[in-house]
Amino acid sequence: MKDENLYRPYAADVALGRCSCGQHGSQHEHDAEAARARSLRGEKAESLSTDFVEAALVRAIFPQDATRRLFLKAVGANAAMAAIASMMPISDLQAMTLDKAGPLEKKDLTVGFLPITCATPIIFAGAADFYGREGLNVTLQKTAGWAIVRDKVLAKEFDASHMLSPMPLAISLGAGSTAAPMVMPVMENINGNAITLHLKHKNNRDPRNWKGMKFAIPFDYSMHNFLLRHYLAAHGIDPDKDVQLRVMAPPDMVANMRSGNIDGFIVAEPFNQRAVYEKVGFIHLLTSQIWDNHPCCAFAATEDFVNQHPNTFAALVRSIIRATAYVNKAENRKGVAEMIAPANYLNQPQTVVEQVLVGRYADGLGQVLNAPDRIAFDPFPWHSMGVWMLTQMKRWGYIKGEVNYKDIAERVYLATDAKKRMAELGLDAPAQTYRKHMILGKEFDPAQPEAYLKGLPAAA
Amino acid sequence: MTNHYLSVEGLKKAYPTRDGKAGTPVFEDIHFSIEKGEFVCIIGHSGCGKTTILNVLAGLEEATGGVVIMNGREVKGPSLDRGVVFQSHALMPWMSVLGNVAFAVKSKWPDWSKAKIAAHCTEYLEMVGLGHAIHKQPAELSGGMKQRVGIARAFAIQPKMLLLDEPFGALDALTRGTIQDELLKVVQATHQTVFMITHDVDEAILLADKVILMSNGPLAKVAEIVDITMPRDRTRAGMHHDPQYYRIRNHLVDFLVNRSKTYAGGGEFEQYDPKRPPVVRPGLVDTSDAALAPDAVRPLTQLKKVVNQ
Amino acid sequence: MSTNLSFRAALLSVLLFACFIGIWHLATLPADGGAVSAADAEYAALMGQGAGKAEGFPTPAAVGRTFVHFLSDPFYDNGPNDKGIGIQIAYSLLRVGAGFLLATLVALPLGFLIGMSPLMTRALNPFIQVLKPISPLAWMPLALYVLKDSDVSGIFVIFICSMWPMLLNTAFGVASVRRDWINVARTLEVGPVRKAFRVILPAAAPTILTGMRISMGIAWIVIVAAEMLVGGTGVGYFVWNEWNNLALPNVIFAITMIGLVGMLLDFAFGVLQKMVTYRD
Repeated sequence: MKDENLYRPYAADVALGRCSCGQHGSQHEHDAEAARARSLRGEKAESLSTDFVEAALVRAIFPQDATRRLFLKAVGANAAMAAIASMMPISDLQAMTLDKAGPLEKKDLTVGFLPITCATPIIFAGAADFYGREGLNVTLQKTAGWAIVRDKVLAKEFDASHMLSPMPLAISLGAGSTAAPMVMPVMENINGNAITLHLKHKNNRDPRNWKGMKFAIPFDYSMHNFLLRHYLAAHGIDPDKDVQLRVMAPPDMVANMRSGNIDGFIVAEPFNQRAVYEKVGFIHLLTSQIWDNHPCCAFAATEDFVNQHPNTFAALVRSIIRATAYVNKAENRKGVAEMIAPANYLNQPQTVVEQVLVGRYADGLGQVLNAPDRIAFDPFPWHSMGVWMLTQMKRWGYIKGEVNYKDIAERVYLATDAKKRMAELGLDAPAQTYRKHMILGKEFDPAQPEAYLKGLPAAA
Repeated sequence: MTNHYLSVEGLKKAYPTRDGKAGTPVFEDIHFSIEKGEFVCIIGHSGCGKTTILNVLAGLEEATGGVVIMNGREVKGPSLDRGVVFQSHALMPWMSVLGNVAFAVKSKWPDWSKAKIAAHCTEYLEMVGLGHAIHKQPAELSGGMKQRVGIARAFAIQPKMLLLDEPFGALDALTRGTIQDELLKVVQATHQTVFMITHDVDEAILLADKVILMSNGPLAKVAEIVDITMPRDRTRAGMHHDPQYYRIRNHLVDFLVNRSKTYAGGGEFEQYDPKRPPVVRPGLVDTSDAALAPDAVRPLTQLKKVVNQ
Repeated sequence: MSTNLSFRAALLSVLLFACFIGIWHLATLPADGGAVSAADAEYAALMGQGAGKAEGFPTPAAVGRTFVHFLSDPFYDNGPNDKGIGIQIAYSLLRVGAGFLLATLVALPLGFLIGMSPLMTRALNPFIQVLKPISPLAWMPLALYVLKDSDVSGIFVIFICSMWPMLLNTAFGVASVRRDWINVARTLEVGPVRKAFRVILPAAAPTILTGMRISMGIAWIVIVAAEMLVGGTGVGYFVWNEWNNLALPNVIFAITMIGLVGMLLDFAFGVLQKMVTYRD
């Protein structure tokens, strides 16, 4: 017997069920050789499942990780493996879970996306046929706007879709649409947006002077809207009274900026970079400067779809998590840009997409800037992020009355499920689903949403 | 009531006024009859309701009162028994000449084969002198030719009775003459029963066995029924050699010009019984001096001689 | 004489077109931007300079190249979101065809009914008057909500907008069939079906075809707008997809194709109309 288990239940030096550093990715650095072998196992569904059962079993025997480590150190991994195997019918258990996984309920799926870099994992999973490896045949359907995405998901025309991360919350609450329970198994990207200003404002960088300006946002229920409002309000600008916010499709934003109809916009990439490329605007700031690693887009489906197609849904989510992990790696970014730029996907000049994904970009004012974290991809749907979005929806009057932040966030954002799927793929998921976030220099404590709201200017 | 082939009894037509009340009748108390094989013309000024009477006979319009009885049965609605030739030919321009006639023939004999229909139609079109034009479109024909197609269409279904609504009204005199000849020929050959509206006194004398004279509307009535006593083998060319011709013609013109206005049941016509309108035979009365006199009273003296005979 | 006239007209058309292209060419001559400062070659590269990037409104030559590019391979298929213009036009035509056919199936019989019956005319008139002026695209959200399928919704929108000109023209055409023709049919005791097909339909056909021609014009305009909204496939989606890339030459190309197809459709209906028009 060899310790080739993906989850390394017999490794004394590694915390089980959590990576040693508490953050993702670093576990592999400890043992690059073994990790490669493990992730190979992780890509084979069968070994993946058996490994998972074995790891779970070991965890059940040693609920305290410290005890497990002590035990392994004392008897040695091989002895422990033999001992446990003799005691427990591991192979039987493994076979049982494989059966339970069951067949896919539906193989031909339609998934919607908007042609923006946020959708990179969804697109890449199609372009590199990660879906096919899960036995799925996914048609990626480019869609013209968020409202259409919402309608097509509710109409069951899309089995699942790329969405703005506040949308599943809003739809579940019936804000701005008919109420339908949605679930969001994974986040797509973090960061990856910017505020772009018209070139005429290149000497007007202080938001305190922005009264009377017109801004475009992509959708009401978007992080873009919430971040811009938050940013403006923090600088003494009332987003409802002092400036005009208009919902617009991204290419229209660039065109309207060219004709001077709007002064600026906040939108997903590559349209900020495109405005620079078109010489109509400059990048005022990346949204990571407002909230580093803020959530942006997500992958979502209706609760109905998940209930009716649990295995298909799990396979779908696995494909996307796998793609997310792949596209997040800096060394893959250039190739990904080349893959998603053509007409079938983003339909953008490759250099524009590349500047976004690689993070070395022209800012529109003659500088070449470096921001490797301009966009990153992390599937974990933090409940705390959902809570922040709900506070903002309440703050700006999109939802009224008492809001049960935690319940809603936990029902829609399937963080526990994501953890499980990430674990299946050998990725490290955080142990907690809530954490504190630093947003514009102010700490957001998800345990105290109302207090946070009270401390903000222009609170509703 | 009687054994006439067709009898019109107490016919009346009134159109509702704007406010929905019954208006003054255009005509009322119309009585006349037509025998089998008879050619009857009806003459009267515009507005006396001739066309309405024809339409009622055709079953295209309903009278306000009275009945039309044909062959012992009341006329209700249109029927293939009564062929109609319309004033404006009413050919369907999207069908060829043959198609128009065939449409009618097919309606009468739905079971006939195409070839049989075509042969039948051709026969009738040749009868009206259009054998050469059967494949033409109506738009390619002159007005006279179109009307001949209309006549052929009506004859082709071999109706028990033919109703002609002023069929030559829109034609020039020359064409009209030719077609009148043709109609005469066909009628003489087929012994068709015909009811025809005309404004043309000569036409009536040439074609008719009797002429119904209508007084002016509203409240128009059958003023007289004029028997055309000239021999049946008339021709347009030879007709005016008959001394009867002028007497009849003068009588009819005199009626149209002088008497039709006042005839509507005025006091001087006490003996007038609408159920039995006076039948006159001006062709047989030798009153060469009186015939031309524009005196409204004189015809009354004539009338007395012939009434109720 | 008339061939001479049409020859001169054609010559004038060509001349006007040449003038248009000439003015366009002059108006879009690249402004002399000066040499790119070699100092920041990387910035210039990131801005797309030297990579054949077109600045400003596209020149006729650029648009011409686009035409050649798209028309040289009109039926390529690079996945669900990138298909050749021929395929996209086919999708649009299919949708228009389906919606139009449905509209015909409803509008002609209903128009007959309305045209024949003054009672139905009066009873249905208020509905028609309210529904007729509604912008076809205003139906879209409702259709999406009720029908739950964007393709079907697109077809529905075509259906509803093709409906009114056809319905009204059919009703009008049927109501104004010459009385004489109806009377001929009545005196011949023609049955209602035969009367409808042999007399009323041909008599009203020119009017009906006029309605259908108007409907088709509207349908073609609407499908492009609907596809821009709903996306997926079709020439409207093609326009949106190229607009999303701010690729004006491609948008101009698509607009021209839309115009040409619209013209051909209209021409086809013109021929049909000529076929059913009778000389009286």
